[in-house]
Amino acid sequence: MQSIKKNFFEFFGLPISFDVDVESLSEKYHELQKEFHPDASSLETEIEKMRSVQFTSFVNEAYNTLKSPIKRAEYFLTTQGFDTENVSQSELDMDLLLEQMQLREKLAELPKDDSAMPALENLKQDVKQKLLIQQSSFADDARSENYKSAKKTFHELQFLYKLLSEIEENEERRLEY
Amino acid sequence: MALLQISEPGKKSTNPKVKLAVGIDLGTTNSLISSGYLGDVEIFPDLSGQVLLPSVVQYRQDAQPIVGEKAKMEVLADPENTVISIKRLMGLSASESQNLPQFEQYTFDTSRGDESPVIITRAGRKDPIQISADILSGLLARIHTAIDEDIEGAVITVPAYFNDAQRQQTKEAAKLIGLPVLRLINEPTAAAVAYGLDSNEDGNTIVFDLGGGTFDVSLLCLKRGVFEVLATGGDTSLGGDDFDYVLSDWMSERVFDRGQATLKERGKLIAYANSVKHELTLHNSVSLSFNGWRGTFDSVEFAKICEPYIKRMINACRRVLRDASLSKEEIDNIVLVGGSTRMPIIRKAVESFFEKPPLTDIDPDKVVAMGAGLQAEVLVGNKSASDFLLLDVNPLSLGIETMGELVEKIIPRNTTIPVAKAQEFTTFKDGQTSMVIHVVQGERELVSDCRSLAKFELGGIPQMVAGAAKIRVTFQVDADGLLSVVAEELSTQKMSEIQVKPSFGLSANAVEEILSSSHQNAKLDLDLRALREAQIEAKQLIDAIKAAKEDDGDLLEESDGGRIESLVHQLSEKIPNGTSVEIREMTELLNQITSDFAASRMDRYVGQALKGEAIDEID
Repeated sequence: MQSIKKNFFEFFGLPISFDVDVESLSEKYHELQKEFHPDASSLETEIEKMRSVQFTSFVNEAYNTLKSPIKRAEYFLTTQGFDTENVSQSELDMDLLLEQMQLREKLAELPKDDSAMPALENLKQDVKQKLLIQQSSFADDARSENYKSAKKTFHELQFLYKLLSEIEENEERRLEY
Repeated sequence: MALLQISEPGKKSTNPKVKLAVGIDLGTTNSLISSGYLGDVEIFPDLSGQVLLPSVVQYRQDAQPIVGEKAKMEVLADPENTVISIKRLMGLSASESQNLPQFEQYTFDTSRGDESPVIITRAGRKDPIQISADILSGLLARIHTAIDEDIEGAVITVPAYFNDAQRQQTKEAAKLIGLPVLRLINEPTAAAVAYGLDSNEDGNTIVFDLGGGTFDVSLLCLKRGVFEVLATGGDTSLGGDDFDYVLSDWMSERVFDRGQATLKERGKLIAYANSVKHELTLHNSVSLSFNGWRGTFDSVEFAKICEPYIKRMINACRRVLRDASLSKEEIDNIVLVGGSTRMPIIRKAVESFFEKPPLTDIDPDKVVAMGAGLQAEVLVGNKSASDFLLLDVNPLSLGIETMGELVEKIIPRNTTIPVAKAQEFTTFKDGQTSMVIHVVQGERELVSDCRSLAKFELGGIPQMVAGAAKIRVTFQVDADGLLSVVAEELSTQKMSEIQVKPSFGLSANAVEEILSSSHQNAKLDLDLRALREAQIEAKQLIDAIKAAKEDDGDLLEESDGGRIESLVHQLSEKIPNGTSVEIREMTELLNQITSDFAASRMDRYVGQALKGEAIDEID
């Protein structure tokens, strides 16, 4: 696995860009899997099998990264030399933080039984809407090579994804699953 | 089909390149075997044309065990030597097994504790692996009477929620009779393969698999001949049997009025409830008669008393949809698997949730074995992987224990396998030279609530200050879903490695508990986690300051020594009973006022470390 030096974009024969056509990515992924998956090589030696496991692990990782907009955004910034794990307060918009807090308060104030389900659904749609807007603004920033702004948008996306998963956790708890 | 195979025993394939591969559905109640050797993949029946082999084994003195229908007829006459439902004991320990009520008729070796269970029969000691092996032999006999050829290998299906121990034991059962296992695949996945290849239409398929004792639901996407499992979920403590129990309870209230039913009467009532359930698949209303009591029961009433169970099944569907980020409108096909899905109330519930009628053209009893047979064809090379390829996922999250008995997830559930993921960890104390890697499986945040898979130690870490060593832990899950873990200290490249093979697993209920409690306790976990983390951080800081004071007390005096000492004291007192916020605030403060001290210490440390070493050696 260590021997694969290419980055994920190059690996799939794509330009290093946030704009990825997920449908054609998935097509390439399937082609690679059909060729290299351990099932396709049931007759080879143990060493070849092991290599195939390592290689398809890499293929899976690369595909899962590029398929998901948030992971792809992060990976894209890393290829541009940005450290996505650290963020300072000054990089973020005050308005955005306030809005996040308000959304979180809304979530906390909802009733604890399943009467909150419609409200949770509304909140979820609201957050998803915001995610789409931020995603397209990240794409714009990335295209115009405005990486500083892209990094800020990425951290905003992170907040929204976190919030989305909290809303979903809330849903599950109310479904008594 | 049945006629084709039994009329011409000893047949060989006309194409010499075709290999004999089989698909096996090793079920709790019934087992089946299929093969595509003679053309299309078909189920192989016994000589009388029966396709289902009851998963029952009767042990006899000085004679081969009897497997299947004949053994099933001996269950009442010879209960202690006739083993049923052995699949439920796979992966369990002896102490867990002997306490299960449905196994009370057997004599267990009570000295085995945490080891695998052993049932003492008149033919000797038998464990779940041997008993399963006998069922497999019964299935293989069907192939041997029809085909004169060695079996190249088998694909055996397991419930999606089988853990590593249960999967390993299934493989060992095959090994015991010399049957090579090409692959273990998940039952719902096998069912989807059977349907997908049958229709050959691209799209998203939900597989709703309700067996006697377990419930699995999986979401697969078929595109360009590739089956991608997008998410899998379920409930291992929910099954068709529950409907018998709930109906017998309903009748018990009416039949026995306030009087208590005896154990025997209750057994009879459950059997009666089972027959009523079957009648309700054909008729809307049934007249009841038991011990002189008479009444009627209809499907509306039945749906009412079963509602809590149906709700749980539908919630499992919602969750799988969510894990796959799909809406129910995006589901193209619904496949029903398992005899219990014949119940009209289940069909109705599924249809009304997905707003689409389920597919029922393949017999729900056969569909899993059919899919396994198809996958076996690919794995021996009779069919090419470019015709169809299966990409499965790991059903439960895998992680390791970190400080404070918390779990750090390394591979989340529903990740496509094979997969390799690495994460870096560091030492917690100054001069720490070894690290214990504890591998766990489950969705909860605390180690004690997850299942422990393995524990091993990485030694020989060079002495460094806390947090300086870098240990990379890599998890690798292969295409069979089996895990191996490697830990490596990056500066010395010292490695330690383990293949996870636990001696026994969780009970079925325990797997369910992992999943359900994961959500009920999510909030509790988070609060507790926050507190633990705050406590650990505080302790680490105090330890670090104390150690630093011993080494570099002179530097401490230069900084604000007295103030630091008093804060250390206050914080130590706060740790056991303060809230996470209080502890965190004080830690933060202490951290700030010691930052000068830390900086001058680091300068000194780096200065010393650089002495006598060439620059290129340290970067």
